[in-house]
Amino acid sequence: MLNHHPLTRWLFGYEAQRKRMLKRAPEGPLRDFLSVPFPPLYTPLNCIPILAVDFETTGLDAVQDKLLSVGCVELNFNQIKLGSSYHQIINAKGSLKANNVTIHQITDDQKDQGQPLAEVIEQLLKRLAGKVMLVHFARIERQFLRQACLELYGMAPPFPIIDTLVVAKRRLDKRDVAYDPSELRLLALREKYDLPEHYAHNALNDAIATAELLLAQLSERSKDLSLQQLIL
Amino acid sequence: MDSALTEISEFIQAIPPMDLLPSNIIEQVVKEISICYVRRGQSLPPEGIVEANLYILRKGALSYVTENDELLGKYSEGDICTAFCLNNDDKAKVTSDEDTLLYSINYHNFHQLVSEYPDVLAFFQQTSEQRLNKKMLQVNEDAILNSSLLNSSIAHFCHDPVFTVSPDTSIQQAAILMTEQGFSCLVIVQNDQLLGIVTDKDIRRRCVAQGLGIEQPVSVIMTDDMATIDIKSTAYDALMMMTQKHIHHLPVTADSQLKGMVTVTDLMNNEGQNAINITSIIHKAKSVDELIEISSMIPKLQIRMAKLGTTADHVGKSISAITMAFTIRLIEMAEKLLGPPPVPYAWLAAGSQGRQEQFAHSDQDNALIISNDMQPQHGYWFKDLATFVSDGLAACGFIYCPGNVMATNPQWCQTQKKWSQYFAQWINTPDPKALMHCSTFFDLITVYGESNLLEQVRVKMLKKTQSSTLFIAHLSRNALNLRPPLGFFRDFVLIQDGENKATLDLKHNGIAPIVDLARIYALSEGISSVNTIERLKQAAGTPSLTKASAANLIDAYEFLSMLRMMHQANKLQKGQQPNNYLSPKDISKLEREHLKDAFKVIKTMQDSRQSTY
Repeated sequence: MLNHHPLTRWLFGYEAQRKRMLKRAPEGPLRDFLSVPFPPLYTPLNCIPILAVDFETTGLDAVQDKLLSVGCVELNFNQIKLGSSYHQIINAKGSLKANNVTIHQITDDQKDQGQPLAEVIEQLLKRLAGKVMLVHFARIERQFLRQACLELYGMAPPFPIIDTLVVAKRRLDKRDVAYDPSELRLLALREKYDLPEHYAHNALNDAIATAELLLAQLSERSKDLSLQQLIL
Repeated sequence: MDSALTEISEFIQAIPPMDLLPSNIIEQVVKEISICYVRRGQSLPPEGIVEANLYILRKGALSYVTENDELLGKYSEGDICTAFCLNNDDKAKVTSDEDTLLYSINYHNFHQLVSEYPDVLAFFQQTSEQRLNKKMLQVNEDAILNSSLLNSSIAHFCHDPVFTVSPDTSIQQAAILMTEQGFSCLVIVQNDQLLGIVTDKDIRRRCVAQGLGIEQPVSVIMTDDMATIDIKSTAYDALMMMTQKHIHHLPVTADSQLKGMVTVTDLMNNEGQNAINITSIIHKAKSVDELIEISSMIPKLQIRMAKLGTTADHVGKSISAITMAFTIRLIEMAEKLLGPPPVPYAWLAAGSQGRQEQFAHSDQDNALIISNDMQPQHGYWFKDLATFVSDGLAACGFIYCPGNVMATNPQWCQTQKKWSQYFAQWINTPDPKALMHCSTFFDLITVYGESNLLEQVRVKMLKKTQSSTLFIAHLSRNALNLRPPLGFFRDFVLIQDGENKATLDLKHNGIAPIVDLARIYALSEGISSVNTIERLKQAAGTPSLTKASAANLIDAYEFLSMLRMMHQANKLQKGQQPNNYLSPKDISKLEREHLKDAFKVIKTMQDSRQSTY
């Protein structure tokens, strides 16, 4: 887990990094992404422009494994806008491992009908510009997205992230009571908040499920909170 | 579409009236959704939403209350909250009872998406009354399409021309004419005036068997006290008249002019296995055992009629007609056994049979009204009659009345004078016991015997009720004891105090309140009908009830009765005892919406009754 202290320096870091990289970035999707400022740290909770994102991958290693599909949906003013939802299967090289197919249920046939990685990442960056990325368990999404950017543009931009797992973990840690790490899984947390069962392991579905979880988590927090208290 | 949105689409599409939309429109509706989360105890609309929206509950619960915190309803998973669809001045509030996940949809955009689906739009725009009316129009149309004789005009059954002869025609000439034309009856006419009717049976019984000369004029053997029926009546009315008067031929008239003739055979041929057929077999039954055997057909008939799409009104009337036929046949058997009645009397049916709203396996509610000439020693004859008939009915599946409202109870086997006293007493001193009797005895009809006995009592009684505001006030207050539920909450019935019940009692929470209201309107307006729909129709437009309200109540009554009929038909089909208890799990979402509308109509009318007194 990344050390998030001191917070202030962290965010200045994001904006400062963005501005620095903007100068070096090549023309194209990455430059477009970097040219939109991130929301400031003091943005109140319900005003943060958020994009909930989920990836399905062939494994956990961002270098060896492949990105299979991307799903995302916007969360603005505490409302998840289904009209903004995006879901795309990626036509990755190499055939799928059988045991993974059972998890994400993307078959070779579907994958072949997918779009090239470059187009999908371009779409994602376009949607992500100026927003905070929302994920559950940030490691996968951050690493795969960084890796894809490195491959495509030769550099990886900063991504301000809210992680629903970390939001839950910080709360449990504060209570100073032992807990089972499995309590932090998306399904378990949704159940805890009485959210409906959802069809898991579809990228868009999980993105929506994560956004719903954040709404539930935020509903019990003070309205005076700002981005500062939530960001990774 | 993406499987994530497929899941949401399927959820939306299962909710009436969205189920009327094709999937491409549903897809577009889903794109309009904003998912919101409302914490327990917060009020709607969610923060930041100002425009008109509709809300579909994905998870959680909402309460809908008036300005004074009176509960109006609750919403749960899969319910649509329309309280914020139109920016009206409604002061009602909606708050969340639990943490709630909502699908909110901009109403303006939704309206545009479904603009080509009037049935869907209507759901959001119409009032409860309008929706219920639409539903019943459709039900009634179906019933007419599946129609049987019950709602067919007598004009479809009667045949013309009818052969008429003058009163001085000889019996032989009449017989020759009947043979030549193949008719079993002739009508006797003089100067366009209907004098009487002569049938095959009359020639046999009154001429041949008596050794009467065949050259005698036909007027000697004709029945001059002839029953006729107006051409505007239904075939059902004809059946009732024939059953009651025990005749097989009924001349049909228009403006008192002879138009045709309808016979029992005409009605029977049209129907096959039906109410008419059963009544006709009942007439021919020679023993109680035979009647018991016939009675096993009633549940089957009820199932069949329900499945055919007959309205509950018609089923109720048919079953009541059959019960009437059983009763009449049993009385005839009893009279044969006991000898002729010592003084004139009439056998009365009360309660649901009186109102002609009876279903299979109802209990028997009956009474006797006897001429004031009755002497103490005549009591035995009537007691024997009552016992024979009541036991016979019980053997045929009409269980003894648990409240002992039966002719066997000396209290309800009384002279005309005594009955008048009863009514006067109930009206003058409307104590709880009197009010309890009201629901039974203000719905009396004559099944057999001298109908004048009851009608004379009724005329006096109605005069009294019309002018007795105190009595009507008590009756009104009593009727308000049975309140309809508010609606449904999850798989429970939601009642006034916010409590949940596992089953819906269709009779006490829906049908009985309307029956009670109809009785109150009838008694305050001096209407002699006892059938609920008939009472409402006749009360429509009087000071007691506006035409629109009457129409709404009739719709609500028909809908509730239909649900009960279907429920009972299902029970009967499974060989179970029919009852009035419906589990919300067995009610479709759409039916729940219609039920809620019906409850609302009843509540509105009860409230206005309450404010009148």
